[in-house]
Amino acid sequence: MPRHPTTAADHSAPPPTASAPVQVVENNLLTPVALSSISLHGAKNTRRSLLDHVFNPLVRESASADTTFGDVLARLSIANQKLARYDIFKEDSIRVFISEAQEQPQPGLHLDRTNLDVSVSVKEKSRLVLSAGTDFGNAEGSAYTNAVIRNILGGAETLSVNASTGTRTRSAYNAVFSTPVNGNPDLRLSLEGLRSSTQKPWASHEEQLTGANLRLAYLAENGDSHALAYSGVWRQLTNLAATASPTVRADAGDSLKSSIAHTFTRDRRDRAGNPMLSQNGWLLRTVSELAGWGPLRGDVAFCKSEVEVSGAVPVLSRAQGGLPSGISVGGGLRMGVLYPLPTGYSLTGPAQPSRINDRFQLGGPTDVRGFKQCGLGPHDGTDAVGGDVYAVGSVNMLLPLPRAGPESPLRIQLFANGGRLVALKNESKAKDGGGGGAVLDSIAVVNGITSAMGGLADGLPSLAAGVGLVYAHPVARFELNFSLPLVQRRGEEARKGLQVGVGINFL
Amino acid sequence: MSNASTTTTTTTTTTTTTATATSSSSPSTWRQAMPVPRPLQQLFDLVPLITYSANTLPARSPSTTPDQLPTLYVFASDEDARFGAPSFNPSCLKWQTYLKLAGVRFHITPSTNHASPSGALPFLLPARSSPTDSPSPIPSSKLQHYALSRGPTPPPQLTSLRLEAYQALLDLPIRNAWLQSLYLEPAHAALLDELYVAPASSSGWIRASLRSQLRRAAEAEILRTSSSPTAAVADVDAVYAAALEAFEALAGLLAESETGWFFGAAQPTLFDASVFAYTHLMLRYLGPAEEEKGSAQAPFVPARLGVVVGCAGGGELEEHRERMLKRVWGDPPVDREGVRRSIE
Repeated sequence: MPRHPTTAADHSAPPPTASAPVQVVENNLLTPVALSSISLHGAKNTRRSLLDHVFNPLVRESASADTTFGDVLARLSIANQKLARYDIFKEDSIRVFISEAQEQPQPGLHLDRTNLDVSVSVKEKSRLVLSAGTDFGNAEGSAYTNAVIRNILGGAETLSVNASTGTRTRSAYNAVFSTPVNGNPDLRLSLEGLRSSTQKPWASHEEQLTGANLRLAYLAENGDSHALAYSGVWRQLTNLAATASPTVRADAGDSLKSSIAHTFTRDRRDRAGNPMLSQNGWLLRTVSELAGWGPLRGDVAFCKSEVEVSGAVPVLSRAQGGLPSGISVGGGLRMGVLYPLPTGYSLTGPAQPSRINDRFQLGGPTDVRGFKQCGLGPHDGTDAVGGDVYAVGSVNMLLPLPRAGPESPLRIQLFANGGRLVALKNESKAKDGGGGGAVLDSIAVVNGITSAMGGLADGLPSLAAGVGLVYAHPVARFELNFSLPLVQRRGEEARKGLQVGVGINFL
Repeated sequence: MSNASTTTTTTTTTTTTTATATSSSSPSTWRQAMPVPRPLQQLFDLVPLITYSANTLPARSPSTTPDQLPTLYVFASDEDARFGAPSFNPSCLKWQTYLKLAGVRFHITPSTNHASPSGALPFLLPARSSPTDSPSPIPSSKLQHYALSRGPTPPPQLTSLRLEAYQALLDLPIRNAWLQSLYLEPAHAALLDELYVAPASSSGWIRASLRSQLRRAAEAEILRTSSSPTAAVADVDAVYAAALEAFEALAGLLAESETGWFFGAAQPTLFDASVFAYTHLMLRYLGPAEEEKGSAQAPFVPARLGVVVGCAGGGELEEHRERMLKRVWGDPPVDREGVRRSIE
């Protein structure tokens, strides 16, 4: 039986040094208890039904006779983490107060156990947040304004409206409405409408997108994340440069992509220290997309699949007794295939070859360093026209700077990376003498993909190696590298000398 | 046309990705300020150690034409493009006809306004001398010069003072009537879809959006050039009446000529091509409705511009169109199965 009836438990782990209240809690972990009441304070705009999803399991599970104080604490901790993941309450505002029930319990009920009153207090985040700022994406900087309306209907629904303009994205507008499914903060359904206009100087055009997507995202308890999304996007390739190549001109105009995509991420990187400088652990990501086939319709039909694996191993310092030395060896491998499909339900009908806005692009400071943005793969004139199959790999070694030491976000980087980006070619086209827009029969697709796969291993991959400086800012990672291309194909655009990279995801 | 895409010459080099000691957006000033040190330059000259042959282009890339012919980008169906058949767009057909009159040999390829440097078709892309060069496209405004300088049989150039006045008939009343009839008449909605909307996308949503864009653009164009530009709605009857008058005037002009070509030219000129571009398309696409064909008592519908053209000057313009068709396309072209396809 708790000697001090009132104690406070935070949802965060108790500090290692046991203070007096913690001692009290520890002494009573095995005490049988029953819940007399739970009250929540401060959730003015939140629906009761949402909160029921959090606290009903707690009440149900704590009804059995063998419930101990420790069980209640553990379940409260789970409930609090759930509350925090709704993203409608202020961080660190969630407080739990447990006290012995003041009122006498109903006769005949739990007389053998200590009855507890649980009181949870929260502070809601402000419902409307307006913000503006700058953002770093991969190889792009942008300025944005953003309005977020939280908890619109009281069920942790969020509406976010964005407008941004950047170095490459001329303008982008989107609005996302997102809601937890069945009160589960780890399963969210969101509906997004978007409109954007992005310059693609490596292929002499601008792409305008108008569309919507519906997305179901699930975060598993072990940290794996799954996202299943349907998207319908009207793409318009327009504003071609005067020097645009015939390949780009042939793909100018409109197309509708209607696709479902699944993304799986298993992130086991140690990001506790610096999220942009992981020197331990691994990451697996797969993206699969099916467009245009069967009921999806649309103007393009293909199946696209990508796999990425990367990881790093720390080199421990013997002098410091196995503590991190700030040195690590890492590597990454990424592969992708775009397989053209016939539209409709057939699997063997004629398929349209891929368009430039569906094909993969490779090269640049965030994937294959030492090459220009989209510098790898087939080029028509000066335009990077992309490929249907690719494989890319990198190895690197990170070393702390002599004076700064392993704690600083600065590292020296030695790297070598290379890859191949190969287009599916139409072997029967020579016979037809046909121009663009030729269709492929299923045999030609199989042959084309097989020979493109073979093309990956045809000779050495296009390679570059170099040395550089990494600065891992919490918002983005900055790299300044000196690199030299070792192997390349004619038409591919390598970069000799210095190259600056800013981004979130580096290979 | 609508969805007019204007070209921009913005080629923003982003600071996030590009910074190098060897090349930059302004190489001359950069180099002068920071010349590459000699040992570094020697290192740069050593790499890449291996250079393989170029990657092959994707399957959708237009193959480099083995016969080294330029390509005229026009509105056309895939099949028509394969046989070099007349385009269904008046402006494209005008230049296609003129280049053929001049004896220029070229391929045609179906395209959209988005592909054009000026935002409108047609344009001519010269043949490439090597797979890596990207020749500049020739917009329609420079095609006459191109045909005169490159064609083996350059058509005569007209110097008549009246040319401008008659050209204005084509550019205003006849063009407006074409826009009104094809884009805005409900009777021709299916035709408009078939020619301009359906090829863009299979999606109903995109088609509906493009259709309304096309209609709005046509309407705005007619209003802009009509007699009362402040009016909110064009006077449809006036549009067709003006076209009827214009065709009669053209038929009268043609009747004056002894050669069968406008202004008495010995050979067909650019003006013949311009007239043919409208008369051919009106006769082919905007003729009498199926059920009215062959019936003498068919009611006169002003939107049926093919009928208007056929009647003008007692058939004078229709005969001109036949002469042009025979002269430029010769006998009906032969398709893959060896069947003679009628252009009609």
